[in-house]
Amino acid sequence: MAVAQTDIETLATADKPRGYWSGVGRRFLKDKVAVAAGCVAGGLILMAIFAPWVAPQDPFDGTMIRRLSPIGTEGYPLGADELGRDMLSRLIYGARLSLFMGVTPVLIAFVIGSAIGIAAGYAGGWVNSITMRVLDVFYAFPSVLLAIAISGALGAGILNGLLSLTVVFIPPIARVAESVTTAVRKLEYIEAARASGASAFTIVRAHVLGNVLGPIFVYATSLISVSMILAAGLSFLGLGVSPPNPEWGLMLNTLRNAIYVQPWLAALPGVMIFLTSISFNMLSDGLRSAMDIKQ
Amino acid sequence: MSDAILSAHNLVKHFNAGGWGAARKVVRAVDDVSFDVAPGETLGVVGESGCGKSTTARLLTHLLPSDRGEVRFRGRVAGTEVPLKEFRRHVQMVFQDSYASLNPRMTMLDAVAFGPTVHGVDQPEARRRAGALLERVGLDPARFGPRYPHEISGGQRQRVNIARALAFDPDVIVLDEAVSALDKSVEAQVLNLLTELRRERGLTYIFISHDLNVVRHISDRVMVMYLGEVVEIGPTADLYTAPRHPYTEALLAAMPSLDPDRRTMEAPLQGDPPNPIDPPPGCRFHTRCARAFGPCPGTAPVPALVGRRHLASCHLNTVKEAAE
Repeated sequence: MAVAQTDIETLATADKPRGYWSGVGRRFLKDKVAVAAGCVAGGLILMAIFAPWVAPQDPFDGTMIRRLSPIGTEGYPLGADELGRDMLSRLIYGARLSLFMGVTPVLIAFVIGSAIGIAAGYAGGWVNSITMRVLDVFYAFPSVLLAIAISGALGAGILNGLLSLTVVFIPPIARVAESVTTAVRKLEYIEAARASGASAFTIVRAHVLGNVLGPIFVYATSLISVSMILAAGLSFLGLGVSPPNPEWGLMLNTLRNAIYVQPWLAALPGVMIFLTSISFNMLSDGLRSAMDIKQ
Repeated sequence: MSDAILSAHNLVKHFNAGGWGAARKVVRAVDDVSFDVAPGETLGVVGESGCGKSTTARLLTHLLPSDRGEVRFRGRVAGTEVPLKEFRRHVQMVFQDSYASLNPRMTMLDAVAFGPTVHGVDQPEARRRAGALLERVGLDPARFGPRYPHEISGGQRQRVNIARALAFDPDVIVLDEAVSALDKSVEAQVLNLLTELRRERGLTYIFISHDLNVVRHISDRVMVMYLGEVVEIGPTADLYTAPRHPYTEALLAAMPSLDPDRRTMEAPLQGDPPNPIDPPPGCRFHTRCARAFGPCPGTAPVPALVGRRHLASCHLNTVKEAAE
C-alpha cells in the first residue's frame, strides 16, 4: 500500500507521463521515407532563407551572350535562362517566393477552415447545414477560375494573390474538418465528456482537436503543391508575382518558349516544384501514420 | 414520492424519421415515462432492443433534451432548479462500448482526472484522485495510468469508465448496458465491483440491461419497458416470481435457465416488436399478447397499483370481465 501510495504521488507531481507527442516523434523517426522527405523539405526551406549566401550569382544579373546556355556551362552549373541569368541562383532565390506562395495560403486557410469546419461539425443540426451550404457555393467555381476572379478583382500583387489563394483553400479544408468532426462527435467519449458538465469549448479543446487536427493537417499539406501551381498560374497571368522576380511557376512560364531549344533547362523549375510538393506530401503521410495511435 | 433521489416525470422523446408537415414521421422512442429511484437503491431497466432503454438513460442524464417532461434530482428540476453542471456532478453515466467511450488520445489517468478539473479541482489534485480511483477499481495506477485505451482489455477499460464516473463523487450512476459487452467471468468481476462500490459510497444505480439474470442479481426494483413505455415496475422478487403484465411473463419465460425442468421449449413471443414509428393503438402490446381481450386494441391501459410499490399497465389487472 505504501508503495502504491508513492506511485500515485509521483504520477500526480509528474507533469505528463510520457506525452502523446513524444510517442509521435518516436514513431516518426522510425519511418525512413518520412524522415528523408522531412530533410528535403527542411533543406529547401533553409535554402530559401539563406539564399543570398547559397546562391553563386546575382539572380537579376543577365547577359545576352549567356542566353539559354545549356546545363553544365562553366560558371553556370545549371545553365542560364532566356535573359542570360544564372539558373541555379534563380532557382535558389525562387524557393523564397514559391515556398511562401505555397505554404502561407494553406496555413492561413488551415487555421480558418479548421475553425469553421470544427465549429460547424461540433454544433451539428441547422448551424452545420447552413455553414456547409454557404461553403458549397465556392464549389460551383473551378479553383483556378476562382483564384483568378478574386485576384483579378483585387488587382495584381503578391498580397492579393495570397488572399485569393487563401479564399480558394478555405472551403475544401472546412469540408474535411466538418466531416472528421461530425464522425468524432458521435462517439461516446464525447458524450461522456458532455456528461461531465464541461463546456463545448473545453470539450473541443480537450477531446475533439487532438482527434481531428491530424487528418485535417495531412489534407492541408497535400494542398501546398496545388497552391504553388495556382500561384504560378496567377503569376503567368500577371496577377501574382511579376517579373523579374524569381519564382518557379513564373520561370516555368517564361521558359516555355525555350522548350524546343533547351528542354532540360526549361524543365528545371518544374523539377523544383515536383521535389517540393512530393517531399511535403510524403512528410504529411509520415506524420499521419505517426499520429495514428492504433499502430 | 418526495424522498426520491432521481425521478422522471412524463418523459417524452420523439425522433424525426423523415417527412414534412402532415406526412412527418416520428419514432416514439420514449413515450410518457415516469418513475422514481430511492437513494441507495438499484433500479434495473429491461426490455427488448429498441424499446427506449438507452434513450431513457440519455434523457435521465440530460445528454438528450426531452420533448416533454422533466427529470428531478432530489425533487428539484434538472436544468432549471438544479443547474446542469451541478446536476452532472451528481448523476453520472457509464456506457456500453468501453472503447468508444474513452478518448483514444488520452491516457487512463487523464481520462479519469478530466471530470474533476472541469469542476474546478486543480490538475495535481485531480491526478492524485484519479490514481487513487484507478487503484480502487483494481487497476495499478503506475501500470495503467499512462496507458491508452487500445493498450488495455475491455474489462479494464470498463473499470476505467467506472472510475471516471466515480471521480465526480456522484450520487447516481446510470449504467447503460455497462457489462453487456464483457465476457461472463469479467462481467461477474465488474458486477462485484459495482456492488462493493454501492455499499462503500452509498451509490444509487440505474442499471440498464437486456440480461434478466444480471438485472435480477443486482437490482432492488425492476422496470420493464416495451415500445417506449413502462409496462411494469416493481420490487425484483415480486416481479420475477409474480409478474403482473403478460409482456413481463413472456420475457421471464424467455430467460435462459440452467434448470432442465424450466427449459424454454418454445418462443414465448412471436416476431419482432411493432414499428415504433406507428405503434398499435390501445395497448401497444396487444398485437403480440396471448391474453389480449376486449378493451386491449381500443383503450390504452393506465398504470395501476398491483402490490407494494408494484405498478403494471394491463387491463387484466383492472377490467373485471378479464376474470371471467
